[in-house]
Amino acid sequence: MTDVHTPQSQPESAAGEDEATKSFGESGTGAAESGAGRTSQPSPGGSEGPASRETDPSAGWLRWGWRQLTSMRTALILLFLLALGSIPGSILPQQGNDPASVQQYFTSHPGLAPWLNHLGLFNVFAAPWFAAIYLLLFASLVGCVVPRTFRLVGAARTPPPRAPRNLARLPQSSSYSSVLSPPAAVGSAAAVLGGQRFRLRRSAPDGAEHGAADHWVSAEKGYLREVGNLLFHLSLLGVLLSIAAGGLFGYKANKLLVEGQSFANTRSALDEFHPGRLVSGSDLAPFSMTLNKFTASYVESGESRGQPSNFDADVTYTASPGAKPGTYHIRINDPLSVDSLKVYLIGHGYAPEFKVTGSDGKVAYEEATPFIPANTGTFLSDGVVKASDASLGFMGVFVPTAIAVNGTLESIFPAADAPAVSLIGYSGNLGMNSGAPQSIYQLDTTGMTKVSGSPHVLVPGQTWTLPGGKGSITFVGVKQWVSLAITHDPGQVPALVCGILALAGLLLSFFVRRRRVFVRAVPAASGTGSVVTVGGLTRSDASGGFEEEFAELTAEIAAAERPGDGKPESSSHSEAGA
Amino acid sequence: MFKAKRRTVVTVAAVIAVLLAGALTVTLLTSGKDNASASQGIVEYQAGHRPLAPSVTGTSLTGTAIKLSSYRGKTVVLNFWGSWCSPCRDEAPTLAVLDEQYGAKGVAFLGDDVADTPVNALAFTHSVGITYPSISDNGYLVVADFSAAGVQVSDTPTTVVIDKTGHVAGMVIGGVSYGQLTTLIKDAAVTS
Repeated sequence: MTDVHTPQSQPESAAGEDEATKSFGESGTGAAESGAGRTSQPSPGGSEGPASRETDPSAGWLRWGWRQLTSMRTALILLFLLALGSIPGSILPQQGNDPASVQQYFTSHPGLAPWLNHLGLFNVFAAPWFAAIYLLLFASLVGCVVPRTFRLVGAARTPPPRAPRNLARLPQSSSYSSVLSPPAAVGSAAAVLGGQRFRLRRSAPDGAEHGAADHWVSAEKGYLREVGNLLFHLSLLGVLLSIAAGGLFGYKANKLLVEGQSFANTRSALDEFHPGRLVSGSDLAPFSMTLNKFTASYVESGESRGQPSNFDADVTYTASPGAKPGTYHIRINDPLSVDSLKVYLIGHGYAPEFKVTGSDGKVAYEEATPFIPANTGTFLSDGVVKASDASLGFMGVFVPTAIAVNGTLESIFPAADAPAVSLIGYSGNLGMNSGAPQSIYQLDTTGMTKVSGSPHVLVPGQTWTLPGGKGSITFVGVKQWVSLAITHDPGQVPALVCGILALAGLLLSFFVRRRRVFVRAVPAASGTGSVVTVGGLTRSDASGGFEEEFAELTAEIAAAERPGDGKPESSSHSEAGA
Repeated sequence: MFKAKRRTVVTVAAVIAVLLAGALTVTLLTSGKDNASASQGIVEYQAGHRPLAPSVTGTSLTGTAIKLSSYRGKTVVLNFWGSWCSPCRDEAPTLAVLDEQYGAKGVAFLGDDVADTPVNALAFTHSVGITYPSISDNGYLVVADFSAAGVQVSDTPTTVVIDKTGHVAGMVIGGVSYGQLTTLIKDAAVTS
């Protein structure tokens, strides 16, 4: 990552010049030792072999491996792999979000699915290979950022390097003759540079460092570039850490709630619970909520008739037991925020209310029973009624707006304008006392017999008296249910903040250039005044503009000492491509 | 020389730390995710380390008021159940038998009927012969009270045994057997 802009070194170039043009991050005071320290270190990402050190070979290999891992190239490859690895997560159904679709995929691709499963492609973000990429990237970033932090701190504390002997060799240089003495000319230039917030380094006051009088000033600017760079790397680490925190301490849960029902956010009340690795039941926020009413509006006419226009779940909630209840209208993209939780509305459906009476005349079942939409356009829904204590079970189809087509019920509109249910009755043992958990959406008819041959249609208020004195079922009315997704992601806000900071850091490092300006004054040949040379150097000048800045600076430096006319007799030149 | 050696040591230590962290995280990320089976089991608290049961109040299935604190002085078996729940229906006859056997020995049985309707619940208790009352807890509020008290009723059914002093002595998450519950009741009698 030492992509420093280095002019081609000439064999006769002095030590001072080497120092001026070497890495901006490494400017040390002692040129010799700092230079030696660098050359003995193989460049990160370079092809230098592991056996180039004098220490024992295993340490050499480790050192080499570490350097490979922490190189920018490796980090970029890993970042690319991370992006590549998450593609199957968005193409294939994922176990965490949509287990039903995964099941479906297994049935429709019996040959391929087990192989994909072995590769962890149905749960990409928990797959070991994904974690490996993630962790290597993390290690790579840490290994890159930590040394960089120390380097930046070092660089921020060291003054600019000494002025090179021959400023005319620098990419930007110009000279003018001054009426001032060399120390005064340098002092004036230093004042201008200091006024522009350059960091300065001056020659010794008496000007006698190398025997002969030598008056110069070094100035450096653009430390923000490294700060931006560092900010970017640290923020990237922050993003990764936030995502990890979200995965470890966050959770997702689903809950189906019928109008009038309530639930408390506990492990057993939730229909589905996907905790992070370090989440236990006691970490669930203790809120509870009641669904007062759900309203779905649909487009009544026109081409998009039947399309939903608005959903609104009117809920009452308490953040913790005994707290003051609040009300909220949860809509699509307008979740309820309780503590650190977000409650999203992700689905809805109908729950027809039934009352089932057994052969003894006693009511054995009275409940609004959630039916699952089989057609999300018309909300034709399927469901079962399990009145185990009356030894009766029913398979039903709920039709929100019913019309009879050739003797079968069809739904023509998703709203419950003319609701009807079509029921098939079964009597016998429902198998619910066996102890094996059963789905409340499925009826096991193995130990049961059909009550009648054809399905029986009911509208609200109607009762079907079953043949043979087995009992009756009443379609009482219709309620609605909502499906709620409860998410707790402690990493979300930190990830956003870190993302913004990373962007800011990146912009900073793009737009800020490190640049150095050197000024040296030597006595003029005529005896009075001096000849002042200004040299400038910048790191990869991607955004351009240093040439102009340098010209302006030179003009200002020259003008500062001659307040009358600001035009220096300059011989500015630039070495293109140097 | 010393400096170089120290740097090597630091580098090696860093690599080892990263590898360990990686191994740990991979283990955490890939270890079994079947929470249901992991949550099945018996929890017992030794006397002196028993969490205080929450002060639960509620309405029974038939509409009378129920206060858990009024059972103080008796060992309480509190069963969380629902008529829709197959394992609950499976264990219910055992509970009915134990209620008869231990009712006279200072052990009170109480139910907490979750996500259910009173009609469905009563139809079931009548059919199975359970005579002890149940709190009608459609919204899992009693479960939340226990959760806040540090006792995680993480599945339905769960059976919690509370000692005479009102502290939770133990619980069985999942269907309970005759042997498990009698052991818990005996252990709960030892209060200090």
